[in-house]
Amino acid sequence: MRIKHMAIIIGAAYGIMAILPLFVGNTKFIMNILIMCLIWAVVASCWDVMMGFAGIFSFGQVAFFVMGAYCSGILAIEYHVTPVLAILIAGLFTAGMGILVGLPCLKLAGPYIALVTFGVHMALQPTLRGEIGIALGSGGSVGLLTIPPISMFGYTFSSAHMVPTFYLTLLVSLGCILIIMFAIKSWWGTAFLALKDSQDFAMSLGISAFKYKLMVFALTSFLTGIIGAYYGHFYGVVSFRLLDLDLFSILMVMMLVGGLGHFPGSVIGAFLVVAGSELMAPLGAYRAVTMGALVVVLVLALPNGIMGLFLKQSAKKIYGS
Amino acid sequence: MLSEDTILLLYEITDVIIAGLSTGSVYALMAVGMTLVYGVTKAFNFAYGDFFNMGGYFAWILIFGLGFQFGGYLTVLVVVMPLMFAVGYALEKLMIAPLRKREDWENKVMMLTLGLALFLTSLYTVVFGVRMKSLPPIWEGTLEVGQLVFAYQDIMIFVLSLGGIGLFGWMLNNTRIGMAVQAVAQNPVGAKIVGIPKERIFASTFAISTVMVGFGGILLSQKWFINPMSGGTIMVKAWVVTAFGGMGSIRGGLYAAFIIGMLEALVGWMFGLSYGIIALFVLLLATLVFRPQGLMGKGE
Repeated sequence: MRIKHMAIIIGAAYGIMAILPLFVGNTKFIMNILIMCLIWAVVASCWDVMMGFAGIFSFGQVAFFVMGAYCSGILAIEYHVTPVLAILIAGLFTAGMGILVGLPCLKLAGPYIALVTFGVHMALQPTLRGEIGIALGSGGSVGLLTIPPISMFGYTFSSAHMVPTFYLTLLVSLGCILIIMFAIKSWWGTAFLALKDSQDFAMSLGISAFKYKLMVFALTSFLTGIIGAYYGHFYGVVSFRLLDLDLFSILMVMMLVGGLGHFPGSVIGAFLVVAGSELMAPLGAYRAVTMGALVVVLVLALPNGIMGLFLKQSAKKIYGS
Repeated sequence: MLSEDTILLLYEITDVIIAGLSTGSVYALMAVGMTLVYGVTKAFNFAYGDFFNMGGYFAWILIFGLGFQFGGYLTVLVVVMPLMFAVGYALEKLMIAPLRKREDWENKVMMLTLGLALFLTSLYTVVFGVRMKSLPPIWEGTLEVGQLVFAYQDIMIFVLSLGGIGLFGWMLNNTRIGMAVQAVAQNPVGAKIVGIPKERIFASTFAISTVMVGFGGILLSQKWFINPMSGGTIMVKAWVVTAFGGMGSIRGGLYAAFIIGMLEALVGWMFGLSYGIIALFVLLLATLVFRPQGLMGKGE
């Protein structure tokens, strides 16, 4: 997809988002959902860059998200760092963790990468709950409860002031998405794609698989960590419950709805799935059952997601049916 | 003469070793099933741990839900094993076979089975509730040799899972279907040329692996309880064992299972149970850094 089309789709999606508070700005519940849409859009897009563009089958994205949230929360609570600075440090920390996890993965084949990254995910929960986590200040099985909200220029962005907080989230989210867009369309992004399509051929042209794959890990975990830290400061509460399998699969549904490897798709997927999942709230315990079944059906029936349908339409227009 | 404390310590260590051996043997069963599917069909099954629980729940339904007392576990095995086979076969045919024609289908299979894992986990929670279920021990009582105490249950688990692996190994080498499975694993196209129905072999292999993990579930759930949410952890354990031993290598999986069962029991005894999975993960990472293909894997 050309950068112009990507920009149009992203602009349209975020434009609609930006108008919505005019209508629902007074309903706290809906504003909350909109903010979640913006946050998950970034995480899903980062994951999409990793899996769809770079072809690295990583399952560690939620783990990086949680790491960012905890890192920034601990910094703010225990060391009284200003939230904005804490978020940046958390981003750098998760980028470092991303490189650390990425290093052993570079040598490995598909399922092994999935295993190592999923292992990080699985091992994070006992680490945060157990004595190691408590020593670091993770709050053990309670989690972090008193993360201070972001305050800038004497203004506090908390859930008490929903509309300004929403626009701050919009800016952060849009910033991350634009970084991803430019990364994909830059020389880096072309290198990722070349490596995914044929690693041997790309390497023969002088593209270093080592360098670029590490870069993907660093970039995606940096952005995920930042947005995770932001999530922590917005909610004020972070627990290891985020590592449960349902968030993990909901993110995967977002990617699948949007279309894996069709970049702005994951943004639209995130908006649709967060809204849809709220609509499914009356299902109660059956919501997770439905989500699971939805993943299965989507993989089987809609291989390229919504963007796939869109691309098919435009291909018909160009080449005749 | 040894002091009192040393003797007590020795007894404790013996207990740890027995626990390691019995869980290790079930891990071996699960790892063999997993490595078989990966080696033959190249499909990676994320819902593996939930099939483990499925075996446990089927047994629970038979014993407590329907009040089936006759024949005890023998009846359970006779009923549940074919059921697991049917479930596995149908799932492969309905869900994985259609994906096989797509590009990068291996990744699609991982996503699909992850969705299946969430589906099954939440289904168990909805149907059976979040409270854990327990199964009666397969053979009650203990065997006392001097002052050492062995639970018959541990011995039975050990014997049955090794027996299962042995039976499977015999089938693989001595029956027509076993040889067909090996042929497909070695060269799918060649197997097709000589008239082996590849698709049916794929489905059967998948089904056999669900049977093996379901059998493991029946055995180990007697010690661990059936926890609807535990599928992910169990899958990761089976996966670590498989990857540690080398994917596609059955003998590697066997060694790895006992090493990891022992390690887990030892770490659990020394530092506490929650450190088990961290230790597994550290061991796996260290192995993969030096041997990316696992302990006995063949490599690229």
